[in-house]
Amino acid sequence: MATAEAKVPATPTLAEANRDITRPISMPEKRFYLVLGVAAAGLALMFGAWFYQIGAGIGVAGITHPVFWGVYITTFVFWVGIAHSGTLISAILYLFRSGWRTTINRTAEAMTIFAVMTAGLFPLIHLGRVWYFYYLMPYPSQRQIWPDFRSPLVMDVFAVSTYLTISALFWYTGLIPDFAILRDRAKGWMYKIYGAFSLGWQGTVSEWRHYRRIYLYMAGIATPLVLSVHSVVSWDFALSIVPGWHSTIFAPYFVAGAIFSGVALVITIMIPLRWAFGLEAYITENHFENMAKLVLLTSLIVGFSYGTEFFLAYYSADPIEIESFRWRAMGAYALPFWVMVFCNVVVPQALWFKKVRTSLPALFALTIFVNIGMWYERFVIIVTSLAHEYEPGGWGLYTPSWVEMSILVGSFCWFFFWFLLFSRSLPVISIAEVKEHLAHEHAHGDGGDAGDGHE
Amino acid sequence: MAMSSGVLGQYDTLHGTLDAITRLREAGHRDIEVFSPIPSPEIEEAMDIHSSPVRVWALTGAITGCTLGVLLTAGTSLAYPLVTQGKPLVSLPPFVVFMFELTVLLTGIFGLVALLVHTKRPVINLDPAYRTSFSVDRWGIFVPVNGEGHAAAEALVRETAAVDVEVQG
Repeated sequence: MATAEAKVPATPTLAEANRDITRPISMPEKRFYLVLGVAAAGLALMFGAWFYQIGAGIGVAGITHPVFWGVYITTFVFWVGIAHSGTLISAILYLFRSGWRTTINRTAEAMTIFAVMTAGLFPLIHLGRVWYFYYLMPYPSQRQIWPDFRSPLVMDVFAVSTYLTISALFWYTGLIPDFAILRDRAKGWMYKIYGAFSLGWQGTVSEWRHYRRIYLYMAGIATPLVLSVHSVVSWDFALSIVPGWHSTIFAPYFVAGAIFSGVALVITIMIPLRWAFGLEAYITENHFENMAKLVLLTSLIVGFSYGTEFFLAYYSADPIEIESFRWRAMGAYALPFWVMVFCNVVVPQALWFKKVRTSLPALFALTIFVNIGMWYERFVIIVTSLAHEYEPGGWGLYTPSWVEMSILVGSFCWFFFWFLLFSRSLPVISIAEVKEHLAHEHAHGDGGDAGDGHE
Repeated sequence: MAMSSGVLGQYDTLHGTLDAITRLREAGHRDIEVFSPIPSPEIEEAMDIHSSPVRVWALTGAITGCTLGVLLTAGTSLAYPLVTQGKPLVSLPPFVVFMFELTVLLTGIFGLVALLVHTKRPVINLDPAYRTSFSVDRWGIFVPVNGEGHAAAEALVRETAAVDVEVQG
């Protein structure tokens, strides 16, 4: 699925591609500053709540015995999942030579970086005493003792920070030729800034020669990295003995869920972005349809995983495991569970219909449902398992506090704040890749006049 | 490589650029510099370029990262023997995760460094032969000429599909 070529319309010339894609960068609009202001207000809310928690202590959050992992860890897993779309689209589809990735990979990569930046805040927030973070760093912190490299939490630090670094390098490498384009059309101090980031790129054959190879290698190493990151995150849970967590299917289940939510958010963001920046000639309905097919495929995997979890609990004949899953669907958190099932399994079935896959309003609404459902999925896995463990005397309920909810809302604002700044300062579509695609389109369309840049 | 003396031809098609590269190389100009707005394997083929040393850097990064992963996990466990989780001091399954992550990390970092080293970047001043149109929709070929020979080189470039020809130096 999702391998069909989505053609960039042959009409734009190379010069038009430069002009169209860079236009939003020099297009100041009031509505942009309005949205940025809303994001900044949400940021203020988040940091205000966080600083209050640091001052007053972690007790102001709702997490307490027996549910010590709540909204913070739920949101951490959610944002790590969102981060999977970028590298999936960039690296894996690049290796498979899926041409339709060309106009969406830059935005998806940016989402990856901002989502990992957002996710990375939550373990710090969850610590309460954020300054103790250094215990996870790989150095002999106390009495020459190193971190326990058998702990999945230390694995997580390495996996997420490696993912952030490689995603940023991959993103920046792809941006170098585009920085040169921006440099060449800029003046004054903007020329100096874009010039510095372009590293003096001039498009010589030597530069392209090394660039193409290293981009390929980065795609090659980023591909297993995508699969490893959420596997490692899943082992935070699966390597424990908590009922509902201790499962061998967690790694593929989490990876599928991550791709599901990540691609859904790419669709949610790309639809208004395409409209606001007038990029209809580059991001077509075919791109959205291909992404919708990916959402449908991963929804089926996620739905199958939900069923498998219940079957494994039943088949294990372990009364604790069976009770854990019965309570998940019928206990105090039944509503979040059924919201999850509705949003992640039922709603995406509409994507079997081409009319839905090619309707942007329908896709926009549907992908919002998916992301609500995927946040609830993490909440259900984390909270229901901890709230209803082995001993009835240790059971308890968890209700998020206003501090946690403020930080949750603020995390979306933090993400969109960076994304908005990106959308106004860098090309949201990879110009060099689109031009390469267009040059070949023109070559075939013009009957063999290879790579005609003009119409 | 900053080049100041020579002939610069500009082309508006990849096809014309490839043809010009072939003709110039056949005429003995094998040290030409080509500018392109897009990555083009065809240009590399025309200039008889087939591989890049960045792959050696990437492999070196991978080996270094994996070795660092072994040293960090097994090495530190043996240096301060402390049994945790009832597992052996050198517990390969969890340690493989760190080896893998560091392998990937250093492959990427070495790769980017290789790109900078082999393209001799960053530079502050752009090549005198570079034109901003090369980042838009034009290809450029600069033929370096030392001493006499500008006229012959210019005539040769004009015989190709160049849409603009400049003599420098």
